[in-house]
Amino acid sequence: MLKLSLKTILSKKNDTASIIASLSQSLNANIWIEDHSGNILLGNRSESYKVEKIIKVDDEVVGVVKGDETANIVAAILNQSIQKEAEKKKLGSEVLNLYQEINLIYNFSERLAQTIEAPTISAITLEEAGRVIKANGGVVLLWDEVTQRLKILASSGELFFVEEKLYSEIRLLSKILLNGQSEIITDVSPLLDAGILLPDVRSVIYSSLKVNKRTMGAIILSSNEFVQYTAADLKLLTTLALQSSAAIESALLYEKNLREAKEREEAMRLVYEATGKFVPYEFIGSLGHNVITDVRLGDQVEKIVTVLFSDIRDYTSLSERMSPEENFKFVCSFNERMGPAIRRHRGFINQYLGDAIMAIFPHNAEDALLAAIEMQKEVQDLNKIRISNDQIPIQMGVGMHTGPLIMGITGDENRMDATTISDTVNIASRLESLTKHYSVNIILSDSSLKQIEQKEGFHLRSLGLVQLKGKREAVEIHECFDSNTLPDMEKKLSTLAAFNEGVSFFLNKSFHEANLAFKRVVDTDPSDHTAKFFYRNSRKIIDEGVFENGAGIVAMHEK
Amino acid sequence: MEQKLLIVDDEAHIRMLIGQTLEELEDEGVDFFTAENGEQALEIIQAEKPQLVFLDVMMPKMNGMEVCRRVKKELGLNDVFIVLLTAKGQELDRQKGQEVGADVYMTKPFDPEKILEKAREVLHLQN
Repeated sequence: MLKLSLKTILSKKNDTASIIASLSQSLNANIWIEDHSGNILLGNRSESYKVEKIIKVDDEVVGVVKGDETANIVAAILNQSIQKEAEKKKLGSEVLNLYQEINLIYNFSERLAQTIEAPTISAITLEEAGRVIKANGGVVLLWDEVTQRLKILASSGELFFVEEKLYSEIRLLSKILLNGQSEIITDVSPLLDAGILLPDVRSVIYSSLKVNKRTMGAIILSSNEFVQYTAADLKLLTTLALQSSAAIESALLYEKNLREAKEREEAMRLVYEATGKFVPYEFIGSLGHNVITDVRLGDQVEKIVTVLFSDIRDYTSLSERMSPEENFKFVCSFNERMGPAIRRHRGFINQYLGDAIMAIFPHNAEDALLAAIEMQKEVQDLNKIRISNDQIPIQMGVGMHTGPLIMGITGDENRMDATTISDTVNIASRLESLTKHYSVNIILSDSSLKQIEQKEGFHLRSLGLVQLKGKREAVEIHECFDSNTLPDMEKKLSTLAAFNEGVSFFLNKSFHEANLAFKRVVDTDPSDHTAKFFYRNSRKIIDEGVFENGAGIVAMHEK
Repeated sequence: MEQKLLIVDDEAHIRMLIGQTLEELEDEGVDFFTAENGEQALEIIQAEKPQLVFLDVMMPKMNGMEVCRRVKKELGLNDVFIVLLTAKGQELDRQKGQEVGADVYMTKPFDPEKILEKAREVLHLQN
């Protein structure tokens, strides 16, 4: 109720008092005005009076005018004046209420704008609602389309519902609280009976969260007292719900976009990972790209690299004894051991060619040699298992050569492939096939050896020059026997001087001396098949006088 | 001593709103004055020496900043507590407000509760 006193009306800022004063004076009237408690507000009290006129505002007595007939006129003026004042106040109060609402919504919007998370938006909504609407507790519920379940976005104050019932009583809830309406529930008994609300709850007011006519949830306030929620309360709650549902929708969309972007990113990562297994990233990196999608037909780069070739000796006869499936399994288990050994030494596999592997070492030939030794040791480990399984042990040859290599993308627009074009690759491959003839595990060309700074860290011996088929220049080659068994290594070390001497004579075309030197080696170590190879060769040259190129070069016509 | 407060704004509805917000103070004996421009405000301040002035910044004739500057800097009426009111989004005025000697700075739309709270605090009235 608006407080309005006669005193205010008669205050000095108001014209009413002066009008009444001049009126009484000109009419020579004898009147006085009392407030509702009998205090004199204007004029002087007399013992007797003819007229007594009551002043009322909205049926409430606020004072009285007493005196002669003039009291009638004064009372009329006062009534008129106070009525006007009352109307003004009422209007002012309404405007203030509206202003407070605007202020609330203004602040609310401002706070909403600062967040992009649905639970935070919901919490702010509950907080603002609780500020203007009387309630013990509040909750914002959201219907999750994906899980087809209700979700509590935020709650405030006292707990007033049973969470499990929110999930089980969907049918009832869709009729009462999630029906797309905004209501004041005066009879909460259906919700109490269903066990959704706690027994203390007496009053509920709710508003749906809607976007484009789609109901996505509700904001619910409850009270443990019988609260007469007003239409104004409902209007405010609806306004808050309207604003927050738009914000929640945006937040959910944002979350969805973010989630989808992450999923796409993850999918891309998996694609990269998968393609990286087919095409080594080092290859793409060498072409100056970060991702495979950047690779274009015709991209190329030339680099000095060491190419390593490995091949299982006599694999054809080995594989004939296996079924295709066994064959495949064998190659897989073999490659599984070789790949890591290569990568550990900064190399990458350019190609798996059945049982053969072509790897590239972009940094240093030493990397390739270390990898070759490790690969041979892996073969030895594998053989231990094979022997225990009554299988024939396998042998693998490794050849390597250092030289220029062009890596590039060839093919056509629809089918591209990473390709290496280089003589270096051919030479490395040929050197690998020589391992069988020389009965060695690892052969490296002189150009590879030259790139190795710490030569003393390896056990090496020269194998002289070799004339490869289709090559004009002879290639100097070396054996690395670091991967041989310890007794074998010791034997080779003990005959190393004689062996080197033999190779040296051989190169100088002193085949008799060479033959003698190699004989010494073979006599000491009959298992040195490399020395035997040189011994036989020098013998043959002496006996048959056959010089391939008139020099001490072993000519290789195979492969 | 009689308590006086002055509301200065060129917009009638704002004067009405502030008046309505502070209504209960009137019942507690505080005298209300209103002015609709800077010049009028300055006259009332000089004549009545109110303890509290709610002063809008954007006004014709003489703006709130200038009124404040004259009251505080020229007339030296430091007992007059001045609350400057500015529309939201013009917060840059804050520094200027401090320069001309304003005591407090509030933005419109204002929070009625805060206006009342401030008035009670300045006029030393208990709730």
